[in-house]
Amino acid sequence: MTSNLKRSTAAAAIPGLNAETKPESLWRSSVQRLTRNRSAVVGLAIILLTILVAVFAPQLAPMDYKTQVLSDANTAPRWVTQVFPVMRPADDGGYVKINETYLLGADRLGRDLFSRIIYGTRVSLMVAFVGPLVALIVGLTLGLVSGYVGGWVDNVIMRFTDIMYAFPTLLLVILLMSFFRSSLGNVEPGTFAFQVGELDRASGGMLFIFIGVGLTSWMQTARLTRGQVLFVREQEYITAARAIGSPTWPILTRHILPNILGPIVVAETLTIPRYISFEAFLSFIGLGVNPPTPSWGAMISEGAGAISTYPNQAIFPALALFLVMFSFNFLGDGLRDALDPRMRGIE
Amino acid sequence: MGKYIVRRLLWLVLVLFVVSAITFIMMRLVPGGPFNTERGVPPAIIANLERRYNLDAPLIEQYVDYVAGLALPRITDSSFRRSVAEDYLINIPLDFLGEGTALRWMNFGPSLTRRSQTVTAIISDTLPVSMQLGTAALLVGVLIGVPLGIFAALRRNTWGDFVGMGVAILGVSVPAIILGPILQYVFGVGLGWLPVTGWGSFAQVIMPAFALGFAQSALIARLTRASLLQVLNEDYIRTARAKGLHNRTVIIVHALKNALIPVVTVLGPLAAALLTGTFVVEIIFGIPGLGKFFVNSIINRDYTIIMGTVLLYAAVLVFANLIVDIVYAWIDPRIRYT
Amino acid sequence: MKRRTLQYSRFLALLLVFALMVGVVSAQGDRKVLVDAGNAVGASDVPTLDPSLATDTSSIQVLIETNPGLTRINEVTLETEPSMATWTVSDDGLVYTFSIMPEVPWVKYNAETDAVEQVLDENGNVRYVTAEDFAYGIRRSIGGQLGSYYGGIMASWVVNGDAVYAGELPVEELGVEVLDTYTLQITASKPAAFLSTIFGMWQAYAQPAWVIEEYGDFWYEPESFQGYGPFTLKEWIHGESITIIKNPFWPGTENIPVPALDEVKMMVLEASAALANFEAGAADVSIVPLSDIDRIQADPVLSEAYYVGPGSCTYIYGINTAKPPLDDARVRQALSMSINRQALIDNVTKGGQQPAFFFARPSLAAAPHQEDYPEYVLGEDVEVARELLQSYLDERGITLDQMEPITLAHNESEGHARIAQAIQQMWTEALGITVEIQTQEWAVYLETIKSDDAPQVFRYGWCLDYPDAHNFLFDVFDSQVRELGINWNNEDAAEFDSLVEQAMVEPDMQTRTDLYAQAENLLTNKDAAIIPIYYYTSLNLTQPWVQRTHSQFGQEYFEKWDIDLSARP
Repeated sequence: MTSNLKRSTAAAAIPGLNAETKPESLWRSSVQRLTRNRSAVVGLAIILLTILVAVFAPQLAPMDYKTQVLSDANTAPRWVTQVFPVMRPADDGGYVKINETYLLGADRLGRDLFSRIIYGTRVSLMVAFVGPLVALIVGLTLGLVSGYVGGWVDNVIMRFTDIMYAFPTLLLVILLMSFFRSSLGNVEPGTFAFQVGELDRASGGMLFIFIGVGLTSWMQTARLTRGQVLFVREQEYITAARAIGSPTWPILTRHILPNILGPIVVAETLTIPRYISFEAFLSFIGLGVNPPTPSWGAMISEGAGAISTYPNQAIFPALALFLVMFSFNFLGDGLRDALDPRMRGIE
Repeated sequence: MGKYIVRRLLWLVLVLFVVSAITFIMMRLVPGGPFNTERGVPPAIIANLERRYNLDAPLIEQYVDYVAGLALPRITDSSFRRSVAEDYLINIPLDFLGEGTALRWMNFGPSLTRRSQTVTAIISDTLPVSMQLGTAALLVGVLIGVPLGIFAALRRNTWGDFVGMGVAILGVSVPAIILGPILQYVFGVGLGWLPVTGWGSFAQVIMPAFALGFAQSALIARLTRASLLQVLNEDYIRTARAKGLHNRTVIIVHALKNALIPVVTVLGPLAAALLTGTFVVEIIFGIPGLGKFFVNSIINRDYTIIMGTVLLYAAVLVFANLIVDIVYAWIDPRIRYT
Repeated sequence: MKRRTLQYSRFLALLLVFALMVGVVSAQGDRKVLVDAGNAVGASDVPTLDPSLATDTSSIQVLIETNPGLTRINEVTLETEPSMATWTVSDDGLVYTFSIMPEVPWVKYNAETDAVEQVLDENGNVRYVTAEDFAYGIRRSIGGQLGSYYGGIMASWVVNGDAVYAGELPVEELGVEVLDTYTLQITASKPAAFLSTIFGMWQAYAQPAWVIEEYGDFWYEPESFQGYGPFTLKEWIHGESITIIKNPFWPGTENIPVPALDEVKMMVLEASAALANFEAGAADVSIVPLSDIDRIQADPVLSEAYYVGPGSCTYIYGINTAKPPLDDARVRQALSMSINRQALIDNVTKGGQQPAFFFARPSLAAAPHQEDYPEYVLGEDVEVARELLQSYLDERGITLDQMEPITLAHNESEGHARIAQAIQQMWTEALGITVEIQTQEWAVYLETIKSDDAPQVFRYGWCLDYPDAHNFLFDVFDSQVRELGINWNNEDAAEFDSLVEQAMVEPDMQTRTDLYAQAENLLTNKDAAIIPIYYYTSLNLTQPWVQRTHSQFGQEYFEKWDIDLSARP
């Protein structure tokens, strides 16, 4: 009875096991599981699309993001006023001037909302990738060293991690901002500092801020990495590699890293919404992107003040944000499900 | 276990010490000072004020003075009078040593921009408010997040999963910045059910707690979902299912308890973040909480409030993590701390 | 599962009932409590209630009601009128003798009895407000080494004031003398038309020495605060609200009547939350968020409650006149002339502001009106602006592309950002120049614009402390006290100094106005050392059941307001 039961559950849970005899590669099965995960595929597609939008923003946007037509400020096409009943058109006893030129309406300075959302993809995606990337690099390095070397090094790194949890990020942001916005504003063209300043300006002043934010947000990654390393280093193939006298560095990069990278990258993608929210928060307290560069966070926090009068100015960028967050979340979840060996077989 | 807790608490002291040093250095590197105003105060007056608050001393001396004032307890007799310079968070009367004698500890110093307030007073006024708000938000987060996570996990890769997680992600991606005003207009102005702003009554807690907790519910929902999926694949669940137990019973009795362990681990940092990260909601709903003072102190360069709130945050975080670890051990008997 | 849902819904219903109950309990009965979501809005808290230290509108708003000064400004005519005292001036305009209203008691709100009580001295007698209390307040502001900004302003007008302020002379040397219980004499260091207003400002309010000595820095918290005006402090929840309560012992005067309101609760809120409260009927007065003006004007109910009146500030762009290319007056003039101020007001700032070409607001005493001096007004003309810029470029032999880039800085704020972006575009369209906008965080901004290395163009605003042109032209731009224009050092600047210094002591009003007009000509036209943009208006919303006055100088006199309880829902 008992043995029968075990077999039947195993068979039921892992349908492919009995039927297929050839060994399935980890990678291929992961890809398969991922592609079978509808929401993850949709998420991936949307993200790729968003990246394309960011790259081809000038071609896609019907108008320039910074050209103001003051007389068109706060105008909206008719369909928008129908979607948001508060926005009664002026010809119907309300206050919204109807103007069909702008697909989603114009903002408070008469700039095309739709074009700004398209251009806003750039800063928002930059924020979504830079912060997590920096956090990944730092967290991964510290976690690897900590987990593999162990001993007092491990202790020091982990205690440092604890301290960083309590690090006042906002203070660092203001420090960076005052540095980049006053010092770099006054350097000679052609110097290295000027190039750096240009780079920062192109990102609406957000590039270095988010490098800074990434530098204070790697703790979870470091802990996760360390945990994975501790698990992997006890595996037979590592013990074997060490036994034959392989030096530390190749063991780390060739054997350990590839084995743990997957789940860690996935975990990192799940933190992306936090960075995007933080950008919106910075705009809310007035430390956001330099105008006229658009970003979704800035558009939302500016629009939120007018939500009772012109809801379209906040809701549309919020929808764009929602779509991307949604995609990152589903992709992240999908990747985790696909890469986690323990998840194999539950369909 | 006892030993472990003691070690962690000792560790807390070191963390606070290092965090205070880092914060102290950073805030002094930022340009601007607490006495700069739009009107411009004559340099002589600024010098005067800096002398008054000991800001003209060498930085290292200022730091040592600050730490000493905070860390060293002192015994005072009846001649002690609370002042802006000396206001202690912990006051234990020791009347057996003489009338009016007391043990006093933790002087956070005076606020530099609000002259009648000490950081101690600000913390003791605003921390309870932020704690109430944070707890309510956490409750909202759990009450929405856990059921949503279970729902999504059970309907994995169906439209139910999609919609369930969609609702959760809506929480993260509609920041409180926009959710707050929408709630105010719908429930406060439009329906007139709830007071638009303010703090003190139960009705005033509902909207801010929701605005804050909704975002957290997404995180909790996702974790619940992932962890439940993992657990459902464990042998003992399969066994239970195979025994012919009703699916719901399996989930509630066996799977959920174990699935919630990782959820508990994030509650610690989440609680700490909620405690201080409530700035936006406090501003929108006019709540006199700590987050507002923290962000404003950074903007106003009110050095002592910055130090006080950062240290408080660090302490709460370390404590929250400690409590989580203890709860963790209690839920999962396999974990032992030594 | 079904039973569970039922339980949930029962729980929710319970919550709802509870919420409604709480809502009902908080109704206010028949007391006239005004909820003001206007006067403390935008601040994170009322910063202080110490008359010596107050610098912001919300602190001064409370103090103006709790501790009225010797004189005060009429909120509509902006003339100085008797408040706690009447006064006489010596023939040389230097000695001011104030006769203080006798037997006005100091009062304190007692939280236990929920009543305002008279303050008794150590012998059990009622403490009345005396000349000594006013002298104490003035001495503390100027000689207390508190870092009082307005103490510093007043110091320059009182004999030995500056030396006492700097700590070089003892406070007894100050030109303030108590002649008898109710007579105070202040000796001015120089005559001026507006001295009676200066001596009525908050830094010269009566202060309770006995409270300050006993409670030290905490003295103005509700537990110890004492006042004497039509209202006194009741409750102060830091970061949420501050409440003042009617003082039943206030005798009432012609200018300061006995209040009809029982309490005024000033909410510390963000602007759009203030409006939401107003719309929900939870606030009686509200400020007007910029972004909601369109809807308010179109809404049948809100438009009735909407009020636009003259404000108290001027919005300008300051210039660092040492940084090329703005070191040349032609470029500065070109920038000023190519701003379409009316378009900016109609489309961006909205609240019916007035285009400004002079710095001093027209509502100030002795301020020249720009209509009366058309020859001094730079005006707007894009063609001329282009020619001016071209002649500058030709003289340097460079093209527009070779000209140094221009930075326009403002401190972070939604409103400033909109204005800056609109002006940035106007300059680009009119002159073809590129302007980079720099947003700085407030504290950093303050340091930046006052340094020698200030950005070429930066936002600035100035609000009146006392309604005289001197407060704008001398207090901000004279080189003795210069707030702004640190690098403005040419002959025109020197001439400007001599004009405003002459106007300060000139007794004849018309001559003063002419002098200020010439000064404005140098500042805003000939040398264009600043770019005036608009004069503020004051916007508010008032519920129909509130009868009120509208102040033109930043603070309201609540004792002149009333609530019609029968009309309040």
